[in-house]
Formats: sequence, C-alpha cells, structure tokens
Amino acid sequence: MKTKPGFNLRDVCGEKIIVAEGKENIDFSNIISMNESSAYLWEQIVGKDFTAEDLARLLTEEYEVDEETAYTDASALAEQWKNAGIIEE
Amino acid sequence: MQQGNFKVTEIELANEHFLPEVIKLLEDGHTVTIRLKGFSMRPFLENNRDKGLLERATNPQVNDVVLAETPPKHYVLHRIIKIDGDIVTLRGDGNLNNEICRLSDIKGKAIGFYRKGRQTLDSTNGRKWKIYSWIWVRLFPIRRYLLAFYRRIWIKLFGVI
Repeated sequence: MKTKPGFNLRDVCGEKIIVAEGKENIDFSNIISMNESSAYLWEQIVGKDFTAEDLARLLTEEYEVDEETAYTDASALAEQWKNAGIIEE
Repeated sequence: MQQGNFKVTEIELANEHFLPEVIKLLEDGHTVTIRLKGFSMRPFLENNRDKGLLERATNPQVNDVVLAETPPKHYVLHRIIKIDGDIVTLRGDGNLNNEICRLSDIKGKAIGFYRKGRQTLDSTNGRKWKIYSWIWVRLFPIRRYLLAFYRRIWIKLFGVI
C-alpha cells in the first residue's frame, strides 16, 4: 500500500487532520481526522510503500501493545484509510 | 495505545477556530476550498451541500462574495453591497439584514463555487453567476417574499435549487 500523493497531515486548531493539497489549492471540504496513534503511523509511512505488517511493527515499537492486537488494529486502520481514499494498493 | 482506538472520521471544525487557519493559508497565497454552512447565501448556495473556492482578497469590489470577519470572531461569506471609503456593507443573498465591517476585515474572496457535489466550478467570473447576481440583487425589494416562497413552498414541492 501507499499513501496517495497530495494528502497531508495538518494540525488545525489542535486537531490532526488529513487535507487534500495541490500545489496551490488546499481542500478543507472533506477533512479526515486522525487520533494520535493514527497520525503517528501516517507520519511514519507517508510517501512510502507499506504493509499492514509495517504498521503493526511501528505500533509495537511506539506503544505497549502485543503483536497480535497491533496487527488487528493496523489492518483495520489500513482498511479505513483505503475507504477514506487516502491510500492506494 | 488503547485497543480499537483508531478513528478515521470526517469532522467539522468550529468556524471561529477553523476560519482563522483558512485565512492564514489565504494570506500565504494558497487558494482554499471550504464546505459552506448556513442558509444565508440562498438560493444559489445551500448549507452543507456546496463548496466555495476562496483566494486572498485583494481590492474588494461591490458584488464580490467575500469572507469577512464581523468582529469579534464572527465570520460570514456574503456579498458586498456597498463600499464607502473604509466601511463595507455586506448582505447574504438569502438575508434581509446587512453587516458592516472595515475593508481590513475582508479576508478572502470567493472565486467560484462547487454546487451539488459537482467537480466543475461555477466561477464568479462566469456567465451563470453574473446573470444570477444581476437578477437576484435587483430583486431585493421583493426578496422577503421570494425567500418565503422558496422556503415554504418551492423546497417542499421541488427541493432545493
């Protein structure tokens, strides 16, 4: 999987949000909010190829979580990102 | 990390926090697309359905639709109906009342609108917007009745325009 180009993480009014950004235009009409852990993961993988295993590994490195839980959460998150249209296969 | 703590949701940010960020980006030279809220720009623009494309306001003119701060910390996206020196009078197309602000309170200018989920922009330089504006502004003397008819009868029968 890969993050789609043009989606950036921004901090707006204390909310971590994903915003579609072109060279000039910034589109706030569909903003996607990220909690702390998903924002952390996004920052790690933005612009790179990654798998659900990579996300799970990042989670176990940063948080106190066992591998199985991390993998379940990471897969669910990747699915949500795909549905939100911010990552692609 | 708590289990199941992930959330990917679409959110709405409160205007008084969100719009200052938008204004900062406009001042940096970006254009910004925002979802429109409220009914004050009816009949052309509909709450939560349509989007506005904004740029930094340079040299605002009568008939421009502008993002203005009507202090304190209240923001509107309304049409300029009069500029008298430094004093600007604004009125939403769907409103009967005016707002007053200073030229320096004009923070952004709409250069077009995305209506009904379309990808194509109705530019404020385009024919459609100009014709609509020309007619709607001139109908102000009977706007009260047009809006009431639109709200009470038209929308019930045919939905929003």
